[in-house]
Amino acid sequence: MTEELSIPKILPIGVVLFNILFLLVAIPIEAYILNMRLGFDKKSSIFYAISMNLFSGVIGWTIFFLIEPILPGQWRAALISYVFFSTFQNSNIETVLIFTVLVIFFTTFLIKFSLLKVLLITLNGIPIKEETQTSERSRRKRTDKNKIQNTNLVTTTLIANSLSYSAITLILLIHQK
Amino acid sequence: MDVLLKELSGIFKFFEDLFLGIQKLLQPPKAFSWQTLIYLSVFSWILSYFATDLIKTLIAFCGWLFLILGTIWYTTDDPLRVPGTFMPVGAVVTGFLLSVFAFGHGVQVITPRTLVIWPIIAALITAIPEFLEGTGTEAKAQIPKPEVRQKIIILVGCCMLLSCWIQFYFVLDKWLTEYPTLLADKDNFQHSTFVIKIESPNKVPQNGLMLLNEIQPLVEEQIASKPWSQVERWLLDAHQRVDKLGKKVVEKNMIKSGEQKLWRIEPRIFNNKSGYRLDILSIWAGPSANASKYYLKRSCQIEPVKDKNSTVAEITCDPYSKLIYGLPPARQ
Repeated sequence: MTEELSIPKILPIGVVLFNILFLLVAIPIEAYILNMRLGFDKKSSIFYAISMNLFSGVIGWTIFFLIEPILPGQWRAALISYVFFSTFQNSNIETVLIFTVLVIFFTTFLIKFSLLKVLLITLNGIPIKEETQTSERSRRKRTDKNKIQNTNLVTTTLIANSLSYSAITLILLIHQK
Repeated sequence: MDVLLKELSGIFKFFEDLFLGIQKLLQPPKAFSWQTLIYLSVFSWILSYFATDLIKTLIAFCGWLFLILGTIWYTTDDPLRVPGTFMPVGAVVTGFLLSVFAFGHGVQVITPRTLVIWPIIAALITAIPEFLEGTGTEAKAQIPKPEVRQKIIILVGCCMLLSCWIQFYFVLDKWLTEYPTLLADKDNFQHSTFVIKIESPNKVPQNGLMLLNEIQPLVEEQIASKPWSQVERWLLDAHQRVDKLGKKVVEKNMIKSGEQKLWRIEPRIFNNKSGYRLDILSIWAGPSANASKYYLKRSCQIEPVKDKNSTVAEITCDPYSKLIYGLPPARQ
């Protein structure tokens, strides 16, 4: 980062608008899925969708800021060319691109899942510690229940994330045409 | 006369109110109030001017502290909120002061990091009172209600995203300082989806452009469809002719402009394969930031065309003008 401020030469208005657009697309889709599959009421599912997307966006940006300076020259040139001129300079970058998109998809999925988990804990209070007197059977029952809930959470996040990514990809494709 | 007196007393009343307002704002109502803190900060600022080294830093530090506390106090007295959110404007101001205090150093008061961190600090300042219960001196820590927690989480998230965007701007800025040629791209970022250029769509001096637009049809009129030999003679003393036309155009179009004496129009003629190239230059002779001056150039191609049994001239001018920095080429 340069330590001097100068009069702005260019503004990333497009980036900001796209970011807002993606949020506006992803939030309702994910909120709907959360509402449908996990049975949260509408208000809190919207809240979960908003905060999941906001924070995963923030984490994604942070990763970008960390990775960008250490990218190899060719990739960096491709990135700069894409941001400034909306084209990739050379076409053999495609394999890398597909791989990157996949990595991004699964990373966001993981981030969103952990965010949802953290949010559930912070908002509904820390789960009360199991009493020691409970019988072996009921404890097993409870862990089973926990497990089921957990898998349900994972699948729901996966579905929500896939749907919102599909919508965003669709928008990008339409934009490219 | 009565009306005049009324008007006068009205004006006096206005100034009196203004003065009273200022006095109310500046005079601390009691010893322990926000004005006192601001005064303390000004006082320590002045003192730090006279001190040296460690003492100076120490006093300046106290000054910042007083200023930030005073601002917090003033702005929480009467919270005016940022539209659409529950974030008070005061938090934004205080956040700015805090981040300047934390990341500004020495001569460079506002650094990129200051601006990047600002929204987050503002959000945290907004959130802190929600975790405290009670008013005034007796405050108790508490965990706010779930609804309030939701509000705070979303606010903090939005502000962090805002910080990311600001940071991204600085990344772009860094790219441009690393690769300045990007800015000189002909495309001018017009086809870019993600960024807009805010410098220089209007950089071409409009007056020079206007002069070229005015003189071009006059020159075309004197050359187009004239016999080729006549045109060649015209080109021989083009300097005088274009000078004359130029003076006329300047006088006609810039009567009211102060730049009237600062623009002059000159031709440059070059031989080429198919005929001649006539460059019309409008040269800026006034002050400019660059030590080297600049001028605008419009190129016209003049070619002989067979027409029945004689040869006539045809002139085609570029539809655009070029802005060129530097001294115009010497006269032949």
